[in-house]
Parts: sequence; C-alpha cells; structure tokens
Amino acid sequence: MKMVGGFFRDIIKNKVLLLMVLPGALWFLFFSYMPMFGTIIAFKQYRFSRDGFWASIVNSKWVGLDNFKFLFSTNDAYIITRNTLLYNVAFIIIGLILSVLMAVVLSEIANKRLAKVYQTGMFLPYFLSWVIVGYFAFSFLSSERGLLNQVFKSLGWESMQWYNDPKVWPYILILVYLWKAVGYNSVVYLAAIMGIDKSLYEAAMIDGASKFQQIRNITIPLLTPIITIMTLLAVGKIFYADFGLFYQVPRDSGTLYSVTNVIDTYVYRGLKTTGEIGMSTAAGLYQSVVGFVLVMTSNYIVRKFDKDSALF
Amino acid sequence: MNKKRKSFSLLLISLVALSLIVSACGGNKADNSAAKGNSGKSEKPVELIWYTIGAPQKDLKRVVDEVNKYTLEKINATIDMKMIDFGDYTQKMQVMAASGEPMDIMFTSSWAFDYVQNARKGAFMELDDLLSKYGKGITDTLDPAFLEGSKVDGHNYAIPANKELPAQEVWRFNKELLDKYNLDISKATTMESLEPMLKTIKENEPGITPYAMLKDFMPVMPFDYVIEKMPMAVYMDTKDYKVVNILETPEAKSTLETVRKFYQAGYVSPEVATTTSVDDLYKSGKWFMDRAATQPLADNLWSASYGYPVVSTPASQPYIYNWSVMGSMQAISANSEHPEKAMEFLNLLNTDSYLRNLIDSGIEGVHYEKVNDNTVKNLADAKNYDMPTFSLGNVMITYLNEGDPENKWDEFKKFNASGINAPLLGFNFDTSAVTNEIAAVQNVKEEFWSSLMTGTVDPNEYLAKANEKFKAAGLDKIIAEAQKQIDEWRAANNK
Repeated sequence: MKMVGGFFRDIIKNKVLLLMVLPGALWFLFFSYMPMFGTIIAFKQYRFSRDGFWASIVNSKWVGLDNFKFLFSTNDAYIITRNTLLYNVAFIIIGLILSVLMAVVLSEIANKRLAKVYQTGMFLPYFLSWVIVGYFAFSFLSSERGLLNQVFKSLGWESMQWYNDPKVWPYILILVYLWKAVGYNSVVYLAAIMGIDKSLYEAAMIDGASKFQQIRNITIPLLTPIITIMTLLAVGKIFYADFGLFYQVPRDSGTLYSVTNVIDTYVYRGLKTTGEIGMSTAAGLYQSVVGFVLVMTSNYIVRKFDKDSALF
Repeated sequence: MNKKRKSFSLLLISLVALSLIVSACGGNKADNSAAKGNSGKSEKPVELIWYTIGAPQKDLKRVVDEVNKYTLEKINATIDMKMIDFGDYTQKMQVMAASGEPMDIMFTSSWAFDYVQNARKGAFMELDDLLSKYGKGITDTLDPAFLEGSKVDGHNYAIPANKELPAQEVWRFNKELLDKYNLDISKATTMESLEPMLKTIKENEPGITPYAMLKDFMPVMPFDYVIEKMPMAVYMDTKDYKVVNILETPEAKSTLETVRKFYQAGYVSPEVATTTSVDDLYKSGKWFMDRAATQPLADNLWSASYGYPVVSTPASQPYIYNWSVMGSMQAISANSEHPEKAMEFLNLLNTDSYLRNLIDSGIEGVHYEKVNDNTVKNLADAKNYDMPTFSLGNVMITYLNEGDPENKWDEFKKFNASGINAPLLGFNFDTSAVTNEIAAVQNVKEEFWSSLMTGTVDPNEYLAKANEKFKAAGLDKIIAEAQKQIDEWRAANNK
C-alpha cells in the first residue's frame, strides 16, 4: 500500500518530465516491446488459422529449433557470417575516422556559409534510397555504357565486367557505403564540436597551440564520449547488414555472392518463395540476440576503462 | 535512483496491462459484431472484400458502384474491390493472410501469392462443397482440366479463370529485320538452329541486340520441373517418373554450351545476368529476336503494343503444366465470413457476360463503346480503367477488341484442346519436410542459375561447381522426398 502511494506521489511530483517521456515510451512500447511476443513464431511452424493472428500463433505446431537450422546447415553459413561481420567492422572503423575528420574540417572552415553548402552536399546522399544509389553505381560500372569502361576505352585499356568480378566488390561496397553514410554521421560529431566551450580554444591559442594541437588536445578528447556511444550503438547492429546495399548495388549478380551475400540477403533469397515466416523470425531473433550480447560485452569493456563514456 | 527505477517499471507494466486489456476488448467487439452480421445475413446485403492483382485504377470506385447495383439485385451482395500492384502483390498478401486481415475473395496463382503453398498453409477455404452447391455455372463452363489440374491434395481451393490452358514457347522476331535480310523463320526450331540468323544480324547491324535476353532466361529443355526454376525435374517423356537433377543431364550440358556460345559471340548483352528488363529495346525496336510464352493470336497483340510487326514460330510443344493451369485463380479466404455469397459472386463473375465485362472494361459510354454486339472500342477514358483481363475470371465471355477476329475464342478452345499433359500435371510437391533444404538450395540456385542459364559463365567449369554446392545444400534429400511423394501420387492415381 505504501509503495503504491509512493508510486502515485512520484508520478505527481515528476508529471511534467514523465509527460515528456510518454510519447517516446509509448512508441517503444507499441513498436518494440509488444512485437517481442512475436518471437515465439521463431519456434513454431506458422500456419494460418481462420480466427486471426493470435489464434494462428497459438494453433501452430511447436518445432523447437528447427527454424534455425537453415542458417547453419551449409558452408554458406561461414561466408554470410564473415561477410556481415567484416563489412560492418570496416564500416564502423573507416566510417568513424572519416566522419570525425569531416566534422573537424567542416568546423574549421572559416567561411561559415560555404561550410553549410559542403555540409548539405555531403548530407544529401543519406536520403537517397539504395535502389537509386544502385543505379548511380550502375551508371559508372555498366559494361557497355558505364562511365568507367568508357574512360578505360578512351585510354585504350580493356573494359571490365564489373558485375562478374568478385575481387573488386569489397572496395566498391565500402566506397558506396561511405559515400552515403559519412555525411550524416559527421553532422552528429559536428554538433558535438559546436557544443565545445570556445574559451578552451581561446586559452589554447594564447598558450600558442597550433590548429593541429588544438584539434588533438581539445576537440578529439571532448568528442570521445559521443564517439564511444555512436560506436557502441553501431556494434549492436553488427549482425544486421544493410539489405539494400548488398542486394541492390551489386544488382543481385550471382557471380558476386561470395563477397556480397550477407545474413539478410541469404534469408531473403532462401525464403522469398516459401514465405515461411517462422524461419525469417528465427533469423531476426538470432541477429538480435547476438547484437544484444555484443552491446552488453562492449559496454562492459568500455565501463572498465572509462565509466562516463559507457552507455549504462 | 533505485526506487525511481522500480516505480517507472511499475508504470510500464501497468501500461502494458492496460494496452493488453484494451486490445482484448477491441478483439471481442469485432467478434461480437461479426456474430451479429452472421445472424442477420438472410436480409441484409453482404459486402464482400475482394483483393486482386494489378495497378490500382483511377475509376475503380466508379465502376464498383455500378457493379454493386447489379450484384445487389442479382445475389444481394456488394463488393469492395481492392487492387494491389503486380510487384507488391505476393508480399502484401502474404502478410495480410498471415495476420488474419478480413477478406473474402483473393487472386492467387502459380506466379504471384503462390496458390499451392498458401492452400497448404491454410490461407484458403476448401471449395469442394461450395462449388457443387453454388458454383454450377463454373463447373459447366470451365474446361474440366482446369479444376482437375488445380487440386491440392485432392481438393479445390480456388476457381481458375477460363483461359489458355497449355503453355507454349515461341521464338519471336522483329519482322522488319527478318525481311531486310530475307531470313526464313521456319528454320528456327532448336536453340542451335538460331545461330546462322543471329550471326547475320550481329555482323550487319552493330546497334542491334540480336537476342533480347533477361536474367531469368532458361533454355527450353525436355523437363517437367517439380518446382519451377529449381533443378529437380522428370523428363518430359518419362515412363518411370525418376526425379533427376537437370544440371547433371547431358541435355542440359549441351544446351548450356550453346547458350555460352551465343554469349561469347556477343548475340546477347554482356550484362544479361543482371538484366531485369529489355523494354527499352522493345520500345526502340533495336532487337532482333527473343523467346516468349504465346497464346492464340499473340502476334497481333505484340505488334499492336510495340507499334511494329512481330512474328513468331513455335519453340516448344503446347504442354499443360501445373503452373499453366494455375496461371490465374480466385480463392475464398479461410477467414471469410460469407463463403457462400463469395462463391455465388464468383459463379456470377465467370458466367454473366454483363458483370464480367463491366469489371473488365468499365462502363459503356464512359470507358468503351460498342462497335457491334460483342466487339468494343476503347474511349479516351479507358486509360482510367485499364484492368488485366486474364486475372478476373473467365476471359472467354469478354468482348472482342476492334481488330480481333470473330473466332478468337474458338482459337483459344482449339489451342486448349491441342495441349499435351505434362507428366507431373496434378502433382503438387509438399515441401514441409524439407523446408530447411529448400531455403539452402534456393540460395545456391540464386548464385549459379542466371549466370549458367544465360551463358555468362562456362558450363564446363561451373556446372560441376554448382552441383557440388547443391549437394552440400541438401538437393539429394529434396530429390528423395520428391521421388517418394511422386511414387505415392502415381500409385494413388494409376499413372
């Protein structure tokens, strides 16, 4: 009784703050927590029931871990896991370095209007869908009319069959990803840089620090917490591949699968004809669990070294 | 801090509980009203929700209003017709069926929102009784091969449209180029026989793609596939119904070598393995030949839509396959509240010429005008109501278009009669025992299929690679399962 009374007193006391949290909390409740009940589909052979969705779930047969088998049954399991992990590691590391670099450069541009133009220009690709980006890439790589092959031809070189050559695709994919994502991420860091107290730089200048020293000793250290948080969040998604990047940009070319097949495209290709939602749920659950474990571990490690930078 | 956290979680829990109660109430309410709807059914008109395939049309509501006036009077029901575009149909219907969205009638087929699989998953209502009670007109007009061929485990789950029954492949030619180089179309029979023609075009017409090929191209091979575009098949002339992996057969090897030769000679685009559309070639007329599925009088259709003459010659026999029988069907949803009315409506749709043409061509005087009794001409507004005729039931009671010969539907009947039954007609593979293997094999197939079938890679090297990977993915287990089911099916049907 006392606890309940305390509960309501707490609500009244914090009503403004709670009210501000409410929309976000409700959003998570409806779109993240309620759907979690659906994970039981991963352990069922989903069959339709005429009494609707819940009845279908309840009436479907339990199949234990059968739905997970297809993920691990072939030697493709190694390839898709390797591709997913390595690409994401590359994206996180190179993306981080480039984004921070861009943010620092943008913040140091004296002409603020020009800086805004650059910023907008770099920001724009983030809003393009992968289908469109895929066609951009195609206009460069098409074997007959592609820009690159035209250049090769005018130089007297042999033209390349880009969509049949797996060797070059790791570079192409990383390049395309960075082109699309760096602008957006750099804005986050730019905002953090803008928040740094200007008097620190003034003091450094009076002490005779060069631009480079200012960046190394003021900007980067003060950016560390946000860098850690952004990286931790990215690590949580390390088992999710960007479907559009790996499906649309290589134009679903079979000869490239050894370097473009990732967990998400594998699941899509395996299930697009059978439409077994039990198996796709199983794949999603597997990715989430691995992501969860990775976030917890990396957060634990971060907390060991620097408690303030950790997420929680 | 700790206390605050606890009270916040209490708040969360109470919110969850509240929302569950609310949603449960909502669910109950829906059930109640449904029950009420059922009891008052004899007097109140029923509204049928109908999902069908095709780009949503601007004048849909206008036409449906007109349809409802007629059906209200005829069978005391109205329809609420919803269209989903071709590219989205499978996925959206998959989700709607899985989540139990209310619907009564829906389009299904072998190529969009897969009929056999969804029938097995329980998405459709079994129609045997309904068909005999309310579907007399359908059983009378429809070629019996349609209902027989679309049975799943001995039951009908959908009403096929009365249309062309067999599938036949033809070589299509751009007639202008054919005439220019005086090439003889009758010489085109097998894939190998095309070589001299393609060579002439390649040498003399640098801007023309000799063979307009897509990534899903597959040469005509003498097989009937257990699952379309998967390597398990039986020979067309099989006596023992032995399931083979087609990529291990000598026929596939020699055919693929021919395609490879075409690819290396530059008769097809070097990018064929990633090409999903050659509409630009059709529009500009910069192609010489390709292969397509035909139907009676198809040459006229193609010539009219491209704006220049196209001619064709058979590339295969007209075979009746499972998938050609199931090319276009309307099913009744398993959760339909009014299955009897839905069947009455489908019966009317397949037999009543007025209703069928209203749904197909729109309103007379608005979308079309009559030239004579059963021939019509499109009016300017026809573009606001342009429906895919084949998807909406019996096509043989639709009006002829201007320029169609009087005997069009007789030609269809003749074509249907000419069809040869493929060996696996009537057999439907139940994949539930091998779903994991199918998913894995599907991935291997996606990796190798297009590049092998289009000649992008050398079959002498890649056939072995593909077969090795197929085996690792469990193809043998699928073949064994298919063989077991086919043997049972043969025993039960005296094949």
